[in-house]
Amino acid sequence: MAGDDEIEGGNRDEEQLHYNSANLPSDWPFNTSNDLTNTSMSMVTNPTIWDHHNTTSQNLGAFCDMNLQNNGPTSSSSLGFRKGNLVDVCWAPPNSAIKRGGGMFLPPPAAPMLPHSLSQFPTDSGFIERAARLSSFSVGNFEDMINPLGNAPESSLIPYSSRPVQGQPQEGFVGDGFKSPSGVNDESRPKQGGSGFSGNNSEGGGGQDENSNEGIGSKKRRRSDQDTEYNQTKRSPQTPNEAIKNNNEVQQKGDNNSNSVANKSSGKQGKQVSSDANKEEYIHVRARRGQATNSHSLAERVRREKISERMKFLQDLVPGCSKVTGKAVMLDEIINYVQSLQRQVEFLSMKLATVNPRMDFNLEGLLAKDMLESRGGPSGTLGFGPDMTMPSFNHSQMAINSHLMAIGGYKDHASNVPSSWDDELHNIVQMGLNSNTPIGSQNLGSAPPGHLKTEP
Amino acid sequence: MQTSSKLKKVFIKKWVKGLEICCYSNKNMNAIERKKKIKLCADIALASAKNATTSWSNALIFEAKQDEESKILVNNLLGRRELKRFKPQNTNHHMIKYHKRVRSKKILKKSRSVSQRMKKMGPPKSNLAIFIAKRLVKKRTQVLKKLVPGGESMDELSLIREALDYILSLEVQVDVMRSVANATEVSIQSCLEILNVKQKIETCVLIGTYCRVLNYVKKSNG
Repeated sequence: MAGDDEIEGGNRDEEQLHYNSANLPSDWPFNTSNDLTNTSMSMVTNPTIWDHHNTTSQNLGAFCDMNLQNNGPTSSSSLGFRKGNLVDVCWAPPNSAIKRGGGMFLPPPAAPMLPHSLSQFPTDSGFIERAARLSSFSVGNFEDMINPLGNAPESSLIPYSSRPVQGQPQEGFVGDGFKSPSGVNDESRPKQGGSGFSGNNSEGGGGQDENSNEGIGSKKRRRSDQDTEYNQTKRSPQTPNEAIKNNNEVQQKGDNNSNSVANKSSGKQGKQVSSDANKEEYIHVRARRGQATNSHSLAERVRREKISERMKFLQDLVPGCSKVTGKAVMLDEIINYVQSLQRQVEFLSMKLATVNPRMDFNLEGLLAKDMLESRGGPSGTLGFGPDMTMPSFNHSQMAINSHLMAIGGYKDHASNVPSSWDDELHNIVQMGLNSNTPIGSQNLGSAPPGHLKTEP
Repeated sequence: MQTSSKLKKVFIKKWVKGLEICCYSNKNMNAIERKKKIKLCADIALASAKNATTSWSNALIFEAKQDEESKILVNNLLGRRELKRFKPQNTNHHMIKYHKRVRSKKILKKSRSVSQRMKKMGPPKSNLAIFIAKRLVKKRTQVLKKLVPGGESMDELSLIREALDYILSLEVQVDVMRSVANATEVSIQSCLEILNVKQKIETCVLIGTYCRVLNYVKKSNG
């Protein structure tokens, strides 16, 4: 293992990455090759600390402590969730780890904490999501992410997931793009050699360049156009590509398991390169000039190209990855993104659980104004009546009424309120009429306290 | 776009249905249990919305069936046909372990050969870099395998494809849940506003009533 020792030295930072996907107080993996500018990080709270500890990785332990102390008094109450979870998160960092926003992450509340007020929730979720993204995404995101707390947090989330997910162009993309993975690779954006992508030529890649130049804020919306564009540009250069590399056919021995598996799954998309593939197990690839013609290496190359191709799809999918090259880095980003999405789901389910004490979702009413298009059929209306008498305001009733108001718009209901009060007034007056004065006053005395207790 | 909105619709329907089933059984739950149920319903709804096209969804449902709590929910929520999912490629476990052993031996051999080569002709940087890069990639694929449900028994290529699909579905799920949460919150806040308005109206009305009654009483007395 002598060789391993030398490599271990270089890999020390990589060894210390903890990927803890199962636990909530998770570790935020560091990606050493992400370039984040320090200035943008300095906009985050505690700017002085950031600047000071920019490049020292050893101080991270101290930094964690300092952050704990500093964040205590100064931060908004949204940071009160931590509750000792941060202790678990003081990981051993690689070199420039602090750039990634070490102190800003917050694991989603592991313990159920009812917020002091409901208004905390949007800031918390936005904050946490932003913190989730701070650790893994490139600079372009930062202006969106670094928002003063509580200031339209939802807008900062737009880069991520509140945009309509464009499934179809991407899925069509996936389906079509698998046609000839080896041919497609020529289209890649300029990639540096390096982990496994050594085979790619850089060819202009117009769609990808546009991707990288755009602000992240608009990246997703334009992605559908670009994807279709990309699709077309993919198919068109295939003939020149075929001329360049992949015209010839070298039979591959069937002993390469992964290739056969992959080919079965993607071979049906029809490698146009291997137009005359008699049997599906064979991938026909021509050896490029100057490369080894060993069957194993060829198979390896094909496999690598397929993998890199799919990495490209994922690169489009995962925001902020257009500038990133290399398999390892891309995988890292993907891992981060999947983790953050999973955490978001957890957090949102927690939020829904606290907001809805009876777990009754009248989704028709709730989502009537939202971006979902026409949904046919009734969703589960769990038997609320139009309950308009509001002398008692417990939480569940508020929930019911709120749902109804969401449907009807609360102006109407507001106008309805005086009418119901009028009815009660009439009752009171009649009681006063029908009875003597002292009884009337007694009634009056009894009725108001029931209402007055709701006074602020 | 189209598939995602379709997916959203299916997901919502199944999610609400699952929640109904949940609530029907348990009337009183504290927040943690509610959260778990919500999340469980959401996950299963998402996986079943895929209709057994992807292996991660199958794996997710399979895992849910193994679990005691969620078994009932799964059985109620899904149709007969869908219940016949099984964990794909179970037999690959042995193969994978075998391959791992073989691979680890290969790595050892490779590292030895690399070190020998380096001793011979000075450290060729490219080899070392490639070697490091490969190790990085391997580590990360391992992590990704743990993240994606059912990812343990997949090879690299299909793993990446499954991850892609999984990301898409997760985004759908997050979208829907977030919009529901926002809508609920907005409606509650608007209700609170109305509450304030109502309180003011209440007090004014009560004062008016009181005055009127007093006047009436005075009249009747006087």
